[in-house]
Amino acid sequence: MRARNQHGGRARRPSRLRRRAFAGALVLLAALWFGTSPVAAAGETPGACIVEKVDALEFGGQRGAEALHILEETAATHVDVGAEEKLASFEKKLEGCLEAPNPILPEVTEIIWGGIAFVVLLGLMQWKLFPAVKRGMDRRAEKIRGDLDAAETARTEALEVKAGYEAELADARAEAGRIVDAARADAERVRADLVARAEEEAAELRQRSDQDVEAAKRQALSDLHSEVSAIVIGAAESVIGQNLDHDTQMQLIESYIDDVGSRN
Amino acid sequence: MSIFALDFPAVTHLFEWPDIAFTDTYLALNKTSLIYLVAMLLTVVTFGLAARKRSLVPSGVQHVAEGGINFVEQNIVMQTIGAEGRKFMPFLTSLFFFIFFINIFEVIPFIQFPGNSRMAVPLLLALVVWVVYNYIGIRSQGLGGYLKNSLFPPGVPWALYLIVAPIELFSTFLIRPLSLAIRLWANMMAGHLLLVTFAVLSAALWGFGYVPGLLPFFMLVLLTAFEIFVSALQAFIFTILTAVYIGGSLHPEH
Amino acid sequence: MVNLLATIGILAQTEAGEFLDGLKAIGAGLGYGLAAIGPGIGIGLVVGNAVTAMARQPESAGMVRTTMFLGIAFTEALALIGFVVFILLLP
Repeated sequence: MRARNQHGGRARRPSRLRRRAFAGALVLLAALWFGTSPVAAAGETPGACIVEKVDALEFGGQRGAEALHILEETAATHVDVGAEEKLASFEKKLEGCLEAPNPILPEVTEIIWGGIAFVVLLGLMQWKLFPAVKRGMDRRAEKIRGDLDAAETARTEALEVKAGYEAELADARAEAGRIVDAARADAERVRADLVARAEEEAAELRQRSDQDVEAAKRQALSDLHSEVSAIVIGAAESVIGQNLDHDTQMQLIESYIDDVGSRN
Repeated sequence: MSIFALDFPAVTHLFEWPDIAFTDTYLALNKTSLIYLVAMLLTVVTFGLAARKRSLVPSGVQHVAEGGINFVEQNIVMQTIGAEGRKFMPFLTSLFFFIFFINIFEVIPFIQFPGNSRMAVPLLLALVVWVVYNYIGIRSQGLGGYLKNSLFPPGVPWALYLIVAPIELFSTFLIRPLSLAIRLWANMMAGHLLLVTFAVLSAALWGFGYVPGLLPFFMLVLLTAFEIFVSALQAFIFTILTAVYIGGSLHPEH
Repeated sequence: MVNLLATIGILAQTEAGEFLDGLKAIGAGLGYGLAAIGPGIGIGLVVGNAVTAMARQPESAGMVRTTMFLGIAFTEALALIGFVVFILLLP
């Protein structure tokens, strides 16, 4: 609420000041334009000046050209020293009319007005205006510097965050690579395992089948052995009709089998 | 003076203006004095508005004031006195703007009179500058030291001091303020005379056809542009010479 | 009428003054012309060397320009003194 009031007051005041400044400037400009026309500046000519001086002369109860005439006559007689002096001073006055005023010499009134103007200006500038404007400029410079600093800080922070993100990204990438490598290694191992196991099984199978074959062979041989021996004994018993003692029997069988085996 | 039917006004009639108020007193007001007052008011209003309106991005009047301050600071003070010259900134800025606004009335239509083509303000400002730099010299180096440094510049053979000291005395304490005043005054007077000459010439030759009439008129236009430049340049030179003198008083040559 | 006659009479006495005025005018014109020679050459030298310096070291152009204006101001003062004499001698 208070800030808004202040703001409103500040916003209204310059326009009033500006209007006043405008009005003052217009009045002064009007004075410059119309009060001091070049016609007025043309001023007095030497002739008019001389006429004026002659008109103003008083001597011997007369005025103007008559007085000058009498004065010249009086002075020519060289009796009246006062008249001579007066004539000399009058002629000097007339010469003053012919001589232009020296342009390098300053006029007192202008010096006074210029001095007033400069002193007022210097006083206002030194105590009020310059510090105020300078303060505004400094404050702005300060604000801009602050803004720049803030922007710089924000930038550094953003850079830091970006660096963090990049590091994380690199980490993630490395992690992914590692995972892929591990998976690849696992797959390799699994494959090797599978192959080894398959080979092992194949070998086992082959071995088992070999053993089976061997066992079957051995079974077949022993079967053959007992079969043949039973047959042979039966045949022999039936042929001979007597029982051979066991040892002789076995000997015969062995020899037969050997015979068969050697024939195989 | 009348040459080829050309009615050139007498020089004094170009520069002397009749009193328009307070006639026959010491406060008689004529056009020159009015210009001085208007220039003072212009400067005060410029800086007053700039001081009141403190927007972040300067515009208009604020730009003029702040640009002027920056110009005086960067191109005048820092180049001649250095950082410690900042305390003379208000003085130098006032000088610059005061002189510039008085000069620029040379080309403002219907006024067209440089106030500085009258000796009053140039002489006054030169005297002010003379007092200021002597005061600063005496205050910062002491009376003896200031006189010694300005009259007997070091590094000169002893015998030459017989010649150098009077020359330095003459140039430091007499020629400096006079040349300051005369430089400003004569520049503005010459500029005004040139403008008047070509204005009178174009008016006089207007009846002889377009070519003779237009030639001096183009010259007048060009000279008007040139005089704007001269107005600013003379204000700049007056201010920078002031700064140089102040700087010389602050640090003696070594 | 009488006033005018008196005026003419006084003006007629200044024939010698008119001769003097003519001499003054010649002197003023010659004086300013002569006074402008030296500073003309001097300002030419100052600006020429300043341009050379700026072309050689564009980075120090600002300082050179300021010094150039100072040099011009000092040199120009002589021509201006000639101009002042011209104004003072002008009848």
